[in-house]
Amino acid sequence: MTSIDISFGNLALAYLMLIAPLSIMLWLRLPMISETLIAVLRMTVQLLFVGFYLQVIFDLDSLPLTALWLLVMLVVADLSIVRGCGLRMRRVALGVFASLLVGTLIPLLFFIFLIFQDSAALGAQYVIPISGMILGNCLRADIIGIQSFYEGLRQREKAYLLALAQGATLHEALLPFVRKAFRASMAPTVAAMATIGLVALPGMMTGVILGGGDPMTAIKYQIAIMIAIFAGTALTVILAVRLTAIGNIGAEGLLRKEIFTAD
Amino acid sequence: MQKITTDDDKSAIGIENLSLSRGGSTLFSDLTLALAPGEKAVVKAPSGFGKSTLLRCLLGFVPVASGSVRIFGTELTARSAWPLRCRMAYVDQEPDLGDETVEAVLKRPFSYKNNQHLQPDPERTTKLMEQLHLPKNLLGKQVSALSGGERQRITLIAALLLKREILLLDEPTSALDRDAAEAVVALLNGMPKLTVLAISHDSFLSTSFDRVIDLPEHCRRTA
Repeated sequence: MTSIDISFGNLALAYLMLIAPLSIMLWLRLPMISETLIAVLRMTVQLLFVGFYLQVIFDLDSLPLTALWLLVMLVVADLSIVRGCGLRMRRVALGVFASLLVGTLIPLLFFIFLIFQDSAALGAQYVIPISGMILGNCLRADIIGIQSFYEGLRQREKAYLLALAQGATLHEALLPFVRKAFRASMAPTVAAMATIGLVALPGMMTGVILGGGDPMTAIKYQIAIMIAIFAGTALTVILAVRLTAIGNIGAEGLLRKEIFTAD
Repeated sequence: MQKITTDDDKSAIGIENLSLSRGGSTLFSDLTLALAPGEKAVVKAPSGFGKSTLLRCLLGFVPVASGSVRIFGTELTARSAWPLRCRMAYVDQEPDLGDETVEAVLKRPFSYKNNQHLQPDPERTTKLMEQLHLPKNLLGKQVSALSGGERQRITLIAALLLKREILLLDEPTSALDRDAAEAVVALLNGMPKLTVLAISHDSFLSTSFDRVIDLPEHCRRTA
């Protein structure tokens, strides 16, 4: 089986499907049309750029170049998370980057060396999509987790201070906030695993099937990637919360308010 | 102006030439006062003077801008605040106790490593609840369902169960009726070894404790 290519001319026809949502927006008089058009334009340009770039990387299939692309992905994810959390870049970017690096690399290496057990899996064709899927989920989980942790500390400062005043160590006083953040960030992945295949066909499985793979191969890929995503998000969230807290909680145990952006 | 000199080694709380700031502006400066072990004092000052900030400073939550604070002779610093907090207890005016049952809230501090030498004491808990006019069936209720006054008294019981030497209270009777306030005062006055520093606008509390500290009289306010 081989996949059917879409010509650029035919792809242009896909944009016709936008007529329906744009018409609804117009009918509801929602001021979202220009925002939507910009989003569609950005998506198109970004994906075309990535498509061309990945084509070059896949053709060259050089490990350093693949690693460099992975680094770019990590940096972009890091910046998006920090901006999405409303925190100051210089205060948390390093901690978030380290957490993403560990949360992506460990499942990726596990995937390559223990699941595939094939040196061909070090190729860009495998490394980039697998790390991209793990990283994308880490990004979403980190935003939820970090935001929940720091907002929790800000909103329930009295409860936190009471715990410290009652003799709690820093770890003990932070634990309820870490628990809440971890639970909030993991819940979507747990829910996705519980309903996968029933509600929607997952991305990787669909990709393998469209790429010409048989359904059983697609399912094996999907199970492995779901576990990798789960492990990656768990590692990155717990590390992101702990690593960013290190430099932002003073010796006396108080959260430095400078961590939050003005808005 | 009355000035009290500190004799730090004998004082439970010794404050000397203390200045505190909040949001970049000085709240007060040159505060000097001392509390002997077992002494019970009420701090009075106009709103916005920095009374609550002073209590938070004693717990190490607000840095000392200048001057010094000593707890039983040990200078309060960011590092020493941790062991010193194990000699103090704090009751906030509007405590955030989460959404657990009263029983869980009272047991929680005993799970902390620093309090592992202590054991939850159900008998003492029941006795304190009786003394503070709280029904025993409150233990099974969610703290979120309690009134402000009940929450204040539960926080006070949690503090007393930890058997600390110093009790810091922020408006401990603000949500209490007279009977409940009298019960609080009677309970605390019946603990001769316990040092109490309370912030309060309640004249009943002022007349019931050993001393009233008029904060502006003990310092030179600059802002």
